[in-house]
Amino acid sequence: MIRVNGKKHFWYEGMTIKDLLNNFNKSHLYAVVRINDKHISRPYFEKTLIPDNSEVFLIPMVAGG
Amino acid sequence: MAEYKMKSLMVFNYDRPVIEKGYANQTLCIDISDVVISVKPVTEKIKNVFIGGKGFDLWLLWNAVNSTTTWSDPENAICIASGPMGGTPVYPGSGKSIVTTISPLTGSVIDSNVGGYFGPYLKFSGFDALEVTGKSLKDVVLFIDGIDEKVQIFEASGLPDDSYALSAILTKYFDRGKPRNISVVSTGPGAKNTRMGCLNFTWYDLKRKRARYKQAGRGGIGGVFADKGIKAIVARWDTVTTKTNNPADATTLKEVGRKHSREVVELDPKQNQMAQIGTTHLVPIMNDFDLLPTHNFQYGQHSEADNIGQEVFRRIFDPGYDGCWMGCTLACSHGVKDFVPLTGPYKGIKVFVDGPEYETIAGCGSNLGIFDPHTIIEMNFYCDTYGLDTISVGTSTAFAMECFEMGLINESHTGGMNLSFGNRLAALEVVHQMARGEGFGQIIGRGVRQMKMIFSRDYGADPDLMQDIGMEAKGLEFSEYMTKESLAQQGGYGLALKGPQHDEAWLIFLDMVHNFMPTFEQKAEALHWFPMFRTWFGLCGLCKLPWNDVVPEDNKDTPEPAKVMKHVEWYADYYTAVTGRQTTADGLIRMSEAVYNFQRIFNLKMGFGQREHDNIPYRAMGPVKIVEYESRAERYDKQLVEKHNIDITGKTTEEKIALLRKFRENLYEKLKDAVYKRRGWTSNGIPTIDTVKRLGIDFPEVLELLKAHGVES
Repeated sequence: MIRVNGKKHFWYEGMTIKDLLNNFNKSHLYAVVRINDKHISRPYFEKTLIPDNSEVFLIPMVAGG
Repeated sequence: MAEYKMKSLMVFNYDRPVIEKGYANQTLCIDISDVVISVKPVTEKIKNVFIGGKGFDLWLLWNAVNSTTTWSDPENAICIASGPMGGTPVYPGSGKSIVTTISPLTGSVIDSNVGGYFGPYLKFSGFDALEVTGKSLKDVVLFIDGIDEKVQIFEASGLPDDSYALSAILTKYFDRGKPRNISVVSTGPGAKNTRMGCLNFTWYDLKRKRARYKQAGRGGIGGVFADKGIKAIVARWDTVTTKTNNPADATTLKEVGRKHSREVVELDPKQNQMAQIGTTHLVPIMNDFDLLPTHNFQYGQHSEADNIGQEVFRRIFDPGYDGCWMGCTLACSHGVKDFVPLTGPYKGIKVFVDGPEYETIAGCGSNLGIFDPHTIIEMNFYCDTYGLDTISVGTSTAFAMECFEMGLINESHTGGMNLSFGNRLAALEVVHQMARGEGFGQIIGRGVRQMKMIFSRDYGADPDLMQDIGMEAKGLEFSEYMTKESLAQQGGYGLALKGPQHDEAWLIFLDMVHNFMPTFEQKAEALHWFPMFRTWFGLCGLCKLPWNDVVPEDNKDTPEPAKVMKHVEWYADYYTAVTGRQTTADGLIRMSEAVYNFQRIFNLKMGFGQREHDNIPYRAMGPVKIVEYESRAERYDKQLVEKHNIDITGKTTEEKIALLRKFRENLYEKLKDAVYKRRGWTSNGIPTIDTVKRLGIDFPEVLELLKAHGVES
């Protein structure tokens, strides 16, 4: 089990960020995801595994600078 | 510490006006040549057209200077203002000041947006804006005391040069036991000896019991300050509450302020965690998307970037509340406690360092090939206390380093310094030399534009190559984002009024990552709306971070997620609640348009502000050198084939670079056309008569200026 934006979400062994985002609408708007305190950017979604019990935050980043 | 002396030259007593709906309705003018202090009224018309903050600054500056005024002329003014909402404690990010002057780097108007308590304290003391003109042969300290209702000019001697030490002493000198009542504006020795001096604005950190610092960094305002002989400007004010601005509708103000504050408190921990790590989260993200400048903007990525990212600074920053204005829930102004520099006058001495933020990490780190956080912190510390802009220092040093590595300059020019990328000691030595006005650091301190001229004239370096790799436009050094793959951000930099600073339009993510604006028209619309809305923050005394660095969870379901319209509408409510002037989200854009176009015309007045001045170096558009192209050959080859229908078979890298350049430069010119049209400008980039009339800035002097440039109805 993991938590995504504070809500419980199912988890399975080998789950990547890309797999997780497939469960959300308009997931293309998430270019950055935070797993616990580490930011992961879209180029690494496919190969980044989500550990069990992670706190995951989908970051709707539109700004910076 | 040597003994210092403060001799009062003049005391100006005044009756402090009641703040009405966010305005003091008067400005303070100090001529330090003649030691004259006066007060000017702010009319309803001025408020209608210029709103406040940068708008007021520009109006004062416009009237102070003529078209031939240079940065060091006595009539050049330093103007500082907050804005009608500046000083509101209940709304996050409401303590900003805007500073304007004629820049030593650009020769035209520069504006810089800064935190700290000064702007609000100035206003609550009775002045919407401060204008300082003239020059003093001896160091002066200007003291604006809103509690005792007096403005005082001191002749100062024996005070330290370093900005940090100076501010700490003056805070104590004026605080009467309440240091939080004081905000000091000062600079340091680097400002005297370079063209890239910054100003430090203080806010008092009650928990850590020390003055903290934010910087008005861009464009060399610190140099103007030092050249005038101003040692410091100090404001003193008492308790601040929501009522201090005397808002038109305090109930609505509290309600909308509470909503936005609550959202920041709830969502920032889930999103960027700026209250813990500031803007350092951007380092790994920019690196991942090939946007973190490394080695003078040659590349956007480096394998060591994680060494200077948020995971490291999370451990280094001193935990605790770091709001540069009272009650700000974003509170992103972090610092490093007990840092011990390895070089310079503070070598071996524990200091507190304010920062670093993303720009400093990229400018004084990755762009110099430096991936050591402690060197970056030391650069940050010395730049601040010497009064130097970390962005211009970083970008200028990066240019010099690339010139050194390419053999355009050598050790006979640098005084024996090996200026290779990654040389941490050399980078620090450059900063110390800037402060002392000595050696090659003194040349780097003149900025990229001057260096190009000097290297070509005196050292025989190739001017065309330096034009391509010297990252300046309008004379100002680029801030720290890669733009090669984002045409919209090339415009965001190149079409910015003061030069390539990201505070007008940061469109990289929207354009390159999200692809929100695939057409020219969409890019032009973005290069209209975003600069206008961002300008509005500077009119009102606000920070833009709470707008779109914390995003509502349902934002993605809105028609225009890039604009974060829920927050824009809150800002409209906020403006109405304070000023009593009804407005809407569109109304905010209209407010900015007037000031924005006026600033463009101000550039025209100073001899700039036309199409040719919006050019950018080719490195901002694409790869200049073979090694750059070949590092991303797959990307560039694909574009040539798929986007431009070029058969690249058998073509050399040089040939492909030339082809890509032709396409990209052509696209940039087309972008200019589209943006000028959207902004209501001529094809030469000058606002039309219809535009200035529509915006109410058709002053006789403006119309005359337009006519002189062939723009008539």
